[in-house]
Amino acid sequence: MSAGAEGAEGVGVALVSHFATVEQQRHAAVLGMWAWLLTELLLFAGLFLTALVLRLLHPEAVQEAARHLKFWIGALNTVVLITSSLTMSGAIQLSRLGWQRGMVRFMLATAALGTLFLAFKGYEYWADYHEHMMPFLGGRPYALESAPASRLFVNLYYVATSLHGLHLTTGIGILLAMTWQASRPGFLARHQNRIEIFGLYWHFIDLIWILAFPILYVVNR
Amino acid sequence: MARMSDDERRVLRAHMRVPVLTAGALLGLLGVNVALGATLPFAHVWILELMVATAMVVTILWVSMEVRHEPPLVRLFAGIGFFWVGILFAMTLTDYLTR
Amino acid sequence: MTSGTATGTEGLALRDPHTPDPTLDRPADYLHAEHTLRSWFLTTDHKRIALLYLASITAFFVIGAVTAGLVRLALVVPDGQVFTNDTYNKLFTIHGVVMVWFFLIPSIPATFGNFLIPLMIGARDLAFPKLNLASWYVFMTGALFTLVSVVLGGVDTGWTFYTPLSTAFSNTWVVPALIGVTIVGFSSILTGLNFVVTIHTMRAPGMTWFRLPIFVWTHYATSLIFLLATPVITVALILLIMERAFHIGVFDPAYGGDPVLFQHLFWFYSHPAVYIMVLPGMGVISEIVPAFAQKKLFGYKFVAYAAIGLASVTFFVWGHHMFVNGQSDLASVAFSVLSFAVAVPSAVKVYNWTATIHKGSLKLDTPMLYAMGYIGLFVLGGLTGLYLATLAINQHVHATYFVVAHFHYIMVGGTVLAFLGGLHFWWPKFTGRMYIEAWGRISAFLIFIGFNVTFFPQFILGYLGMPRRYHIYPPEFQFLNILSSAGSTILAVGYIFPMVYLVYAIWFGRRAPANPWDARGLEWTVASPPPAHNFLSEPEVPEMPYDYPIQARETGRQHT
Repeated sequence: MSAGAEGAEGVGVALVSHFATVEQQRHAAVLGMWAWLLTELLLFAGLFLTALVLRLLHPEAVQEAARHLKFWIGALNTVVLITSSLTMSGAIQLSRLGWQRGMVRFMLATAALGTLFLAFKGYEYWADYHEHMMPFLGGRPYALESAPASRLFVNLYYVATSLHGLHLTTGIGILLAMTWQASRPGFLARHQNRIEIFGLYWHFIDLIWILAFPILYVVNR
Repeated sequence: MARMSDDERRVLRAHMRVPVLTAGALLGLLGVNVALGATLPFAHVWILELMVATAMVVTILWVSMEVRHEPPLVRLFAGIGFFWVGILFAMTLTDYLTR
Repeated sequence: MTSGTATGTEGLALRDPHTPDPTLDRPADYLHAEHTLRSWFLTTDHKRIALLYLASITAFFVIGAVTAGLVRLALVVPDGQVFTNDTYNKLFTIHGVVMVWFFLIPSIPATFGNFLIPLMIGARDLAFPKLNLASWYVFMTGALFTLVSVVLGGVDTGWTFYTPLSTAFSNTWVVPALIGVTIVGFSSILTGLNFVVTIHTMRAPGMTWFRLPIFVWTHYATSLIFLLATPVITVALILLIMERAFHIGVFDPAYGGDPVLFQHLFWFYSHPAVYIMVLPGMGVISEIVPAFAQKKLFGYKFVAYAAIGLASVTFFVWGHHMFVNGQSDLASVAFSVLSFAVAVPSAVKVYNWTATIHKGSLKLDTPMLYAMGYIGLFVLGGLTGLYLATLAINQHVHATYFVVAHFHYIMVGGTVLAFLGGLHFWWPKFTGRMYIEAWGRISAFLIFIGFNVTFFPQFILGYLGMPRRYHIYPPEFQFLNILSSAGSTILAVGYIFPMVYLVYAIWFGRRAPANPWDARGLEWTVASPPPAHNFLSEPEVPEMPYDYPIQARETGRQHT
C-alpha cells in the first residue's frame, strides 16, 4: 500500500464514515487481508502436514504415487502463475500511476493467465482420469493397485489441488468483477487500494502453489 | 504502447523493473527445482528442493507482496502464520518421528 | 405495571410516551434509531449484530440444555431403559456439538465482544461492519446445516467426530453436521479478523495498548486463536467429509491411513478452542471484579500478558487429549510437561482477581456473585486439569466422568457463569433497563448450587471408574448419578429465571442511567442504550483503565 500510492493525480481512497482518517482505513484493509491470508496459510498447512505424514508412514508408496503425477504440467502451471503474478504487479504499479486503461489490461491478462492455469489443471485431471489415476472413484480400476497406500497420497493431491483451484476460481471471479468496476471513470480516485488488497490475495494463491508444487510433485519423486 | 511518449515509457520501465526482475528470479529458481526434480542428481535432493522453494516463498512475500515496504506490524502478521505452521509441524512430528 | 418494589415507576419502555424526541446532543439510541425488520436483518451496526447473535446463541443454548437434561434423565436408571442406545448417543452428540460450536465459542465474543469492543476503545464501529453482518449469516447457514442433520435423524459420533467411527461405522447424518461445523468456523474467523484489525487500527486518541480494558486484551488473544487455529480444523473436517464421501483413506487404517492424524489436526484447533471459550470469560470477570470492589485491577499488565501467554501456550499442549490414543510415548511426555505451563498464566489471573477483591469495597450485586462463582469453579476446573495432564492419572481416569466433570467446571463453571455475569453487568447498557436485582441474586445462587450438585458427583463417579458416553452402568453408581441429575434440575431453574426477568426488564424495568454500577471504561460514558453512532464526539483517553477510588499497592511503592 505504501510506495507511490499518494503521488499520482486522481488516485486515492474515499473515506468510509466509521473511520477517522483515510490512512486508518487503508491500514485496516491491508491488515485485514494479511489476517485472512494467515488463515489461508494454516488451511493449506494442514494438507501439507498430511502429505508429510503420509510420506513418513509409506515412503515407497508415496514416491510411486508422486512419480505418476504430471510433473511437466505442474511445472508449466507454475510458470503460468508466476507470470500472472507479474501482470498483477503490473496492474498495481499502473493503478498507483493512475493509468487506468493499462491497469485494466493487466488485470484482464491476470485473469486470463489464471484461467489458463485452470485449463491446464483440467487437462491434467482429464489425463489422470484416462490413466486410471483417480482412486477415489470407487467403480474404476486404479493404476497403482499394487501399492495400496499410494491411493492416499493421490487422493490428497486431488483435495489439495482442487482446494487451490477453488481459491483461484474465486480469485478470477473477484478479479473480473473488479476489472469491470475499475474500467469505469473515477474508480482509482475512490478505490485504488482495492487493487492493492486484491493483489495481496493473488500473490498469496501463487505462493500457496509455489509450495504445493514441490510438496506434491517434486520432493517425493 | 506505440502511442506512449518517451517520458511515459521511462516511467513505465521504472515501475515495472522490480516486478520483472522478481518474476525472472522466480522462474530461475523454478528452473532449478524442475531440473533437480527431473534428474534427481543425488540422494536427499529434497533438502535442496525445499530450500529453493523457501527462497521462492520469501521472494514473493518480501518483494511481490511488498512486505519490505510495510510497517513492523504487517511484517509480524506476514511472519506469524509461518511460525504457527512451525508449531503444527514440530509438535505433530514429535509423535510421528518417535513412534 | 409497577408490581414489586424493585421495579421502577417509569412504566413501559419501548413505547414510553415520555421518551423525549431525539435532539442533536441526545440522538436516538441504537434500538430506536430505526424500527423496520430490514433495519435489523441488514444492519451493519455492531450493537444490533451483537443482539442478533445473542438471540441466536440463546436459542442454541436452549437446544443444548434440553438435550443435556434428557441425557441426565437417561442416567437416572442404570439399565439404560429410558432411551435406546442410538437415541442416547445422538442426544449427547447434539448436546456437545450445539454447546461447543453454536453456543460456547461464539457466546461472549460474538455478543459482548461485538457490542463492547468498539465502545471500549472509542470507535464508531468495527473495522469491517459488512463483514461483521456476513459473519452472522455464515453462522446461521452453518447452524442450518447442523439443524438439518438433527431433523433428518441426528448424529451419533460425539462432538469430536473421531474417525473411523465417523467415517466407516456411523450410519447417521454425519456429512451435514460436518458441513455445518465447517461453515461455522468461517464465522469465527471473520469475527476474529474483524476484532484484530479493529483493536489494532481503530483505538481512540490516547487509547494506548496499556490503557485498553482487559476485556479487549482477552478478546484480542481470542481472535488470534480464531485466526490461527480455526483453519486447521476446517481442513481436518474437509478431509473427513472427503473420507466419508469418497473414502480417500488418509484417516482410514484399512488403506494404511492414520486416524491419529485426524486427532492431531482436530486438537490443534480444539484445545486452543478451550481458550476461545475461556479467555473472553476472563475478560468479563476482569471488568466485573474491579467495578464491584471499586478498586483498581491488581497487576493490570500481568493480567494482559497472561491473556497473550495463554493464547500462545495453548497451541503446544493439544496432545494431552491423546495420551491413550496411540501417539508416541515421547510425544505424550512432551505434551504433558508443556500442559503444566498453562497453569502459570491461569493462576496469574486468579491471583490478580483475588488480590483485587482484597481490601476492596465489595458490593455483592448479581454480576459480582457470578464473578465470585466463576473464580471458585475455575480454580477447581483448572486444578483438575493438572490431574489430567499427569500421564499416570490420565491413564486411570481417561474417558471417564472425571474428564466430563473437569471440562464442565471450565465450560459451565467458567464460561457460562462469566457469560451470565456479563449479561447482568451490561444488560442495562444493552437495553437501557435495570432488571430486578433480587431475582438476579436468587438465580445466581441457584446456578452455583445446581451446578455443583450436578457436576461434583461426576468427579467421584469418574474417579471410581464410570466411563463417559454410556447410559448403561453398574448399579452402585446410581446414587451419585441421581444426585447429579437432581442438581441439573436446580441448574435448569437457575437458567430459566434470567430468561424471564431479563426479557421482562426490557419492557418493564427501571430506566438505567449511563453508569449504574459506578464503573470505569468508555462504554459507561455513553448513554444506556448507546446512541447509534456510539460517541457524540470522538473520545480522548487521558488515563489508565480501572481508575477506581481504591488504588492497589502492587510493588510496595505507594502510588500517589
